[in-house]
Amino acid sequence: MTVPNEHLLILAGILFSIGVGGFFLRRNLIVVLMSIELMLNAANLTFIAGSRAHSSSGEPNLEGGLFAIFVILVAAVEAAVGLALVIALYRRKQTVSVADLDELGD
Amino acid sequence: MEPSNWLWWIPALPLVGALLCGWLHLATLKARARGAEGAGPARWAWPAACATVGLAFAISVAALFALQGLAVEERVLESGAWAWIEGGDFTVDVSLVVDPLSSVMLLVVTGVGFLIHLYAGGYMKGDPGYGKFFAYLNLFVAMMLVLVLSSNLLGLFIGWEGVGLCSYLLIGFWYEKGWPAEAGQKAFVANRVGDACFVIGSFLLVRLFGTLDLSDIGAGVEGLLADSSSSFQLMLAALLLFGGACGKSAQFPLFVWLPDAMAGPTPVSALIHAATMVTSGVYLVVRLNPLFAASPGLLFFIGVVAAATAFIAGTSALAQRDLKAVLAYSTVSQLGYMFLGLAAGAWASAIFHLVTHAFFKALLFLGAGSVIHGMHEEQDMHKMGGLRRHMPRTYVTFLAGAAALSGLPVLSGFFSKDEILAMNFAQGGMYYGLWAVGVVTAAITAFYTWRMVGLVFFGDERFDGSKVHPHESPTIMTAPLAILAVLAIIGGVLGLPPVLPFTHIFEHWLAPVTAPGDAILFHGHRPHLSHGTEWALLALGAAIALYFAHRGFHAYRHGKRHDEVLAAKSPAIYSKLQDAWAIDTTYTFWLLQPLKLVSFVVAVIVDQLAIDGLVNGAASVARAAGRRLRVLTDGGVASYGLWMGAGVTLLAWIWIAGGTA
Amino acid sequence: MANLLFYLMAVGAVVASLGVVVSRSPIASILSLLASFFCLATIYLLAGMEFVAAAQILVYGGAVMVLFLFVVMLLNLGAPESAPDAAPRRRWAMPAALATSAALGLSIFVGVLGQDGVQAADAGAGLQEVDTLAGLAELLFGRYLLPFEAGSVLLLAAAVAVIVLAKRQRAAAAGRLHQGESEREAA
Repeated sequence: MTVPNEHLLILAGILFSIGVGGFFLRRNLIVVLMSIELMLNAANLTFIAGSRAHSSSGEPNLEGGLFAIFVILVAAVEAAVGLALVIALYRRKQTVSVADLDELGD
Repeated sequence: MEPSNWLWWIPALPLVGALLCGWLHLATLKARARGAEGAGPARWAWPAACATVGLAFAISVAALFALQGLAVEERVLESGAWAWIEGGDFTVDVSLVVDPLSSVMLLVVTGVGFLIHLYAGGYMKGDPGYGKFFAYLNLFVAMMLVLVLSSNLLGLFIGWEGVGLCSYLLIGFWYEKGWPAEAGQKAFVANRVGDACFVIGSFLLVRLFGTLDLSDIGAGVEGLLADSSSSFQLMLAALLLFGGACGKSAQFPLFVWLPDAMAGPTPVSALIHAATMVTSGVYLVVRLNPLFAASPGLLFFIGVVAAATAFIAGTSALAQRDLKAVLAYSTVSQLGYMFLGLAAGAWASAIFHLVTHAFFKALLFLGAGSVIHGMHEEQDMHKMGGLRRHMPRTYVTFLAGAAALSGLPVLSGFFSKDEILAMNFAQGGMYYGLWAVGVVTAAITAFYTWRMVGLVFFGDERFDGSKVHPHESPTIMTAPLAILAVLAIIGGVLGLPPVLPFTHIFEHWLAPVTAPGDAILFHGHRPHLSHGTEWALLALGAAIALYFAHRGFHAYRHGKRHDEVLAAKSPAIYSKLQDAWAIDTTYTFWLLQPLKLVSFVVAVIVDQLAIDGLVNGAASVARAAGRRLRVLTDGGVASYGLWMGAGVTLLAWIWIAGGTA
Repeated sequence: MANLLFYLMAVGAVVASLGVVVSRSPIASILSLLASFFCLATIYLLAGMEFVAAAQILVYGGAVMVLFLFVVMLLNLGAPESAPDAAPRRRWAMPAALATSAALGLSIFVGVLGQDGVQAADAGAGLQEVDTLAGLAELLFGRYLLPFEAGSVLLLAAAVAVIVLAKRQRAAAAGRLHQGESEREAA
């Protein structure tokens, strides 16, 4: 594939923006968590793009891919813990709407 | 010469007395709180106070004899000194000096003070503040002695301030009545104006001479005379010190506090406002006579001020109904005479008049106190009359004092007043004008003095005999009157005029002190009057005194009708005289009201509106901002997230723009 | 040919992501996200990172999404929401969110752009030629062994945490907890 790297980055940026928008604007906590996953994927794509950018003929750079592996690992962990929290929260408040979570303030 | 450290006893004794009386007073207050009646421990205050002043008098007499034993040029007793301020080249010592001038002042202060202390024991009997009174009185004597004995201007100033403080405390002694407190404040503030001049003047002297030692300053004047800028500064310093003297010695325009000071007990008026404190201005000038002699123009200016003071006060005394007010204005007027003497370079004559005035004015005040006491605190002369039958001893002694004040021949006042007038006449030129004002004022003095005598002691009794029973005062009060009367009568021997074949004791005694000033001013040739002129002036003075005394007496010996006649003839002038030429109202209008206005502006507009507004405004801005910002902490996860996102964006962009890796 | 596929997958990823964010029903969001993952995996393949693509499908698609589905089904959250979910609490929330997201997205692009890199034509050429799996293994168990081990510890900790967090509290303790809550609310 000889797509210029910038295009990968643009795609990553778009995906990230969508993820951020979902994070701020959606009230359902599940969807918020999914937006976070979306953002992480965009970051993964950026890593891959970086690996691609730093590899030349005969000198492949694989560290971007490696970091992408780690990101996938951590994202999975985070999704699991986050969902466990959602379950615990649902048990307390019978809701998963972000609007109902206002006990942090006064 | 070995230091005469026994001099320290002179101010120390009254100081100890003050502390002792204060302690006794506090003990009495405690006893009263526990329910005890009567005078309590404070009844020992009077003997203690009299003892200390009496002992101080004895030591002063000893000092006098000690001085006499010394050769004329060496007549100085010095106590040991210790350094108080040591600032490189500038040092100020704490030490006492007695020379002929201060010995005179010592005797007057302690002697007359002692008599007044005796008198006050009877006068203040039964007053709840008995102990406090003698504490203050002793403190005053101590401070006055510090003033007179100090070897340098700073020590003098401490005494100066100290007597001002005691004056304030004693004028406002009966502060519960309300107006004495205001009078005390007025005295203090008027004195403060003078004190400010004093301090600035002493700064100037430090600059000129590098020291505040009085004898050093006196000696150093001659050296600076040649340089014109120095002599201008000398004049300025002398002018400022005279300003200080005006405050203390109640010269125009700072005399307004003295009539109000009559709110204090009469012994206070006698001691502080007749015999001693008010004379400290005169003492200051004589003490630094070389400084003043260096500026003949300034001396004439002093004369103008003095003559104006004497005239204004004298005319005001004519229209007063309050007995003590007449005496107060009379004091101001006589102080004017003393400064008139200083203006003519007649240092010894001014001191002479100071001494005779102390005698007869204290006598008159104490006599007035006796009258007021006997009349149950009535002070309005229009409500007195015919008291000579009820208070014979007071009456006789009062006559002596009145005679001396009005300058009837052979009494002390005649000689001292006449000498001042003669000295002014001798100067010639512009001084004739001052002399003329002095003569006119002498006439007025005689008139109002005998008006006072007539209204109080003669004529029909204008009081309700059933309600008021005037009685003679106890011996403890009349004995000092008698002593003072004798002094007032024979005091003239201290300064007999040169036409008579006796030495002028004062002039001779004070010569070592006044010589430097005389040298600068007259270059050794004091203007003399011919014998004929002297006799003529003496005769003129006697004639004026006798004539106007007669007129004054006869106008009022039958009653107060003459006052009403005068008031009817020219009510505007009469009321103006009663108000002392409306100087007080002028002050209120031109000085106090603008000051109140400025104070209002500063207090309300600057302080409350502007500064408080600024401070409170800052607080309310903070509060309002906090209120607005508090909505951010709504606890909602979404909004927190949004704000965090915004922050991260900002940071990301900063990072990118900064180009850091 | 590969380029065309890339752009197709790119469009698909974007559409799917939008679907995640915009869908009313959580189930639809989950499925859209899954579609997005697949598109991205394809792109990774095209870039030469086969193992990453495989991991993406296995872990993300096979584990994470399944987990999401499980939770949604368990808590019965699958009902489409009646009220518009994206109703902003304040008027400025929507524009602010959009602006922030766009800005953040742009930052990736701008930030990375300034880095040194190989020319476009040559990009990724090296990756196509080698066995990326072997290379990744070398890196993972060689230079980056510590993060690898740390990752496994993290997995263990997450497993424990999840169990503790999601555990159903015992009745008495839950009652005490609820009591404490109501006391706090009354205060």
